[in-house]
Order: sequence, then C-alpha cells, then structure tokens
Amino acid sequence: MTRISHALIGLFNAAMVVFMVTPLALVVLFSFGRSKLTNFPMGGFSTVWYESIFGDPEFWGAFWNSLIVAGSACSISTVVGTLAGFALARLPGRIVGMTILCLCLPIMLPALVVGIALLVFYVSVGTPLSLATVIASHLLITQPFVILIVYARMLGFDYRVVESARDLGATPWQAFRTVTLPIIRPTIIGAALIALAISLDEVIITFFTLGGGNTIPTLVFGMLRRTLGPQINAIGTLLLLLTLTSTAVALVLTRYRG
Amino acid sequence: MSETGIREAAAPALRSRRGDSHERGPGFRSLGPCLMLLPALAVFVGLFVAPMAYFFVISFWRVRIRKIIPDLTLDNYVTAFEKYLEVGVFTFSIAFTIALITTLLSFAFAYVVRFRSGRWETALLLTSLFTLFGGYLMKIYAWKTILGVEGMLNTLFIYVGVLDEPLTALLYSPGAVVVTLVHFLFPLALLPVYASLRSIEPIALEAARDLGASPWRVIVDVVLPQARPGLFAAFAFSFLIAAGDYITPRYIGGPDTVMIGNFIQSAFGLRFDWPLGAAMSFSIITACVLLLVLVNLSLRALGRQ
Repeated sequence: MTRISHALIGLFNAAMVVFMVTPLALVVLFSFGRSKLTNFPMGGFSTVWYESIFGDPEFWGAFWNSLIVAGSACSISTVVGTLAGFALARLPGRIVGMTILCLCLPIMLPALVVGIALLVFYVSVGTPLSLATVIASHLLITQPFVILIVYARMLGFDYRVVESARDLGATPWQAFRTVTLPIIRPTIIGAALIALAISLDEVIITFFTLGGGNTIPTLVFGMLRRTLGPQINAIGTLLLLLTLTSTAVALVLTRYRG
Repeated sequence: MSETGIREAAAPALRSRRGDSHERGPGFRSLGPCLMLLPALAVFVGLFVAPMAYFFVISFWRVRIRKIIPDLTLDNYVTAFEKYLEVGVFTFSIAFTIALITTLLSFAFAYVVRFRSGRWETALLLTSLFTLFGGYLMKIYAWKTILGVEGMLNTLFIYVGVLDEPLTALLYSPGAVVVTLVHFLFPLALLPVYASLRSIEPIALEAARDLGASPWRVIVDVVLPQARPGLFAAFAFSFLIAAGDYITPRYIGGPDTVMIGNFIQSAFGLRFDWPLGAAMSFSIITACVLLLVLVNLSLRALGRQ
C-alpha cells in the first residue's frame, strides 16, 4: 500500500514538473536551434536567432524603451511604495485593511479594463501617449507589491532602535538614514526588483498606453501576430534570464525563506 | 543573521505592543503617516479612481457618427446584455473551468509537496516558482508551438505510433485555452495555497491519522479549514485573470473560442464604440464580483458541514 502510494506521489510530482517546465524549456532549447520550425529535428546548434535580433534596430529600440520604462516605474514605485508601507505599519488596523485592499484593486481587475480606462482617460484629458504615460500606468500595478512587502516587514520592526538614535540627538532624517534604512535595505531592494520584473513583463496595459514604438513585450506581441518566428524564442530566453536574475538577486537580498 | 533571527523571534511580542504610541517614535503620531501615504494615494486616485470613474460615466453615453456624446442612457447595458449574454456565459464557464482546475491542481500539488515529498519539498517548490517567470506571451507562444498541427505533441504522437495523421483540433480550441491558462496561472495560484498549508504542522495530520481518521477525513477536517483563505485567493485570482483575458483566446482559441475580452477590445479598436465597451467592462466586473462572493459563501458553507 505505502509503496503504491509512494509511486503514485512520485508519478504525480513528475507529471506536474513536466507540465510546468516543458513549455519554458522548449523556448530556451529552440532559441539555439537552426530549424525555422519550432519542432524536432532541431537542425543542430546555432545562435543565428540571437544574431538576427541583435542586428535588428527594432529590437534595440524596444530594449531601451523597456529599460527606461521598467527602470523609472521601479524607482518611483519603490520610493512611493516604501513611504506608504512605512505609513501603513503605523496606522490603526481598521484603516490599514481597507487602504491595502483599495491600493491592490488595480492588480485584481482585468488588465484589459484598466488599460483601456487609462487610454480613454489620457485621450480625454489631452495627455499625449508616450513612454511617460506607460511609466505612470505601470506605477499602478507595481506599487501594490512594494507596499505589501515593505508593510509586512515594518510590522515586525523594532522602533526602539530609532528612538534610541533620536534620544541620542539624531534628527529624524539622520535616524532614518543611519538606523532604519540599513536595517530594512534588503527588503526595499527586494521589493524594487520585484517591481522591475513585473514592469518588464507587462504587456496589456503597455499596449494601450504606449503612443508609438515598442517595449520588449509589445514587440513580442507584434511578432506573435505576424509570424511564428524563432526569434521569439531568443527574446523569450533573454527575458527569462533577465527576470530570473533580478528575482534571484531579490530573493538572496531579502533572505527569502519559503 | 542571528541578530535578525532574534528580532524575528521577538516580533510577535513587539507587535502586540504596537498600540503603544511611545514605540512609534516622536513626530510620527498622526500627521506623518498620512503625509507618507499621500504619494501612493495620489497615484491610486489620479490613475485609477479618476480613469475608472470617467470610464463608468462613459458607459452611460452614446455614440453618434464616430463621436461619443454625453448622455444618461442605459442602452449600452441593454445592448451588452442582449448581444453579449451568450459570450459572457461562455466566458464565465471557461474561466470557471480554468479557475477550478488551477485551484484543485495547486491544492493537490501543494498538499503533496508539503506533506508527502520529504526532502524533495524545496526542490519541487523552487521548480514551480521558476515557472512564474518567462512571461505571459512566451507561454502562449510555447503552447502554440506544442499544440499546433506541425507541433511537438502531434510529432510525438506520430513518432510513438499513437496517431497516423496529425490532430488539427489540439490548437484553436477551448481546450487549448484551458491548458494554456492553467499552465500560466498554476504557479500564481500555488503561492497562496502553499502559504496557507505552511501553517499546518505535519504532526497534526499524524495525530488525526493516529486517532483513526481516514486520509479523506484528514484532508476535509484538518487541512481544508486551514487552507480555505488560500484556496479562495487562488480561485479568485485565476478566475479574474481568465475571465478578463483576450490574448490567449485570440492566439490559442481560434474562431470558436471568442471571449468577452475580445469584444471589449474590438469595441475600442475597429468598432469605436467606447460606451458599449465600457458597459461591457463594468457588467463583467460586477458579474465577477457576484460570482466570487457566491464561491466564497459556498466554501464557507462547505467548511461548516
């Protein structure tokens, strides 16, 4: 009985791992293939698809746009979200629950609806669509994550160390810079990198609020409509590498344990 | 490291004293936190409340000769109901199926990983977290290449000898949309479910078993009550994303799987009917909220039995 159930559990786990990993593994594998079709036989190892996207000015345009958008959305939402996380940890519980629920609404509603509402709003207000509108829109979906992470950390924060600094004559800013910040720095860096990863992968809201040009996800979106080009595999692998690295750094820095 | 450990061990005690204003530090008593909350609230109000409110107002306007005119009509909602009720019901049933499969699968996997996998627990968990990445579009693209007529699965079936001819029905079907979205949502759903199972000690299950409970009763009476918030979060999240999706049905679903999101999108693209699109958006959001309330109530009722 136990041997059978052990075997069944092993089988179930193996099946789940295959289901989860295979699609991503295929993307990475075929990005190094020679064949135009994403299917076996691969036709040998080659980096031709990477060369093709690296030689494409459209890719570089999208790449820089993505960096500008993700970099700005990440830095702004880190500052704004950290401030809010600090504040929420000091406010009474009743207000906090409602405020957090409200601030998280943008990530709970369909991105399609949020994206279109933003587009309609920008057009009606007369704001020309640009990278700035994309960055502003991304703030909506990156700041909830920063707020949640910083708030959770600040709940367990020992305010007595800050008080000691103040008693010893530090100004509030000095106390923050020399006491609070060093203690919670890993949390803030972790939150920032998660915001970065979310902004880098966002496609629907970006698509609606972007005036011209592309970011990496909207470029892939366009390629998905036009062709089944193996270049998509190469871009996907690069994106996977980028988000994976940033999150791995985040996990290490925040000393995430499960 | 050890210092952090001590601080975290002491956290509950500190937290219980948080009500003590003395601990919050001088100068932060009431005005400070409110000021610090201001930028985040400004983003929320300026870029979410205002656009959504305006969008809601537009749903009562009408279109004449490709121009939207302020009005106070319920026509858009009537049209949304009359013309798109069927699509809405189809969207809901497919989203419900996806959310149900995702939630059950993530519960089964979380349960097995937490209580039955021993030393594999961390490896399995990290593997599933890894699939959080890779991006939404990449996953759609990957499934397109797997399920296509000349795709991986057909090639495999023919190679093994299960099939003589490639199956054309794999891609561009509701089933393909379900598979793709379950794959995309699974790691997201796993997070809250696994988090809720982490608070259950394996020893509690052992105790129940020692007292004579069958494996089934252990799950129903010991595990499920604890896991309920996590399960609901996973279901709600999966359902909302699936019901609002329009990219997956478009590239994976084919002409037979058109969901409400596709119509909402086309109301803003080619058809230029913003009021109708807005009315459809708010109808679907309201319906989603109602359904999720129902699901939560029935989960509660199930727990009480």
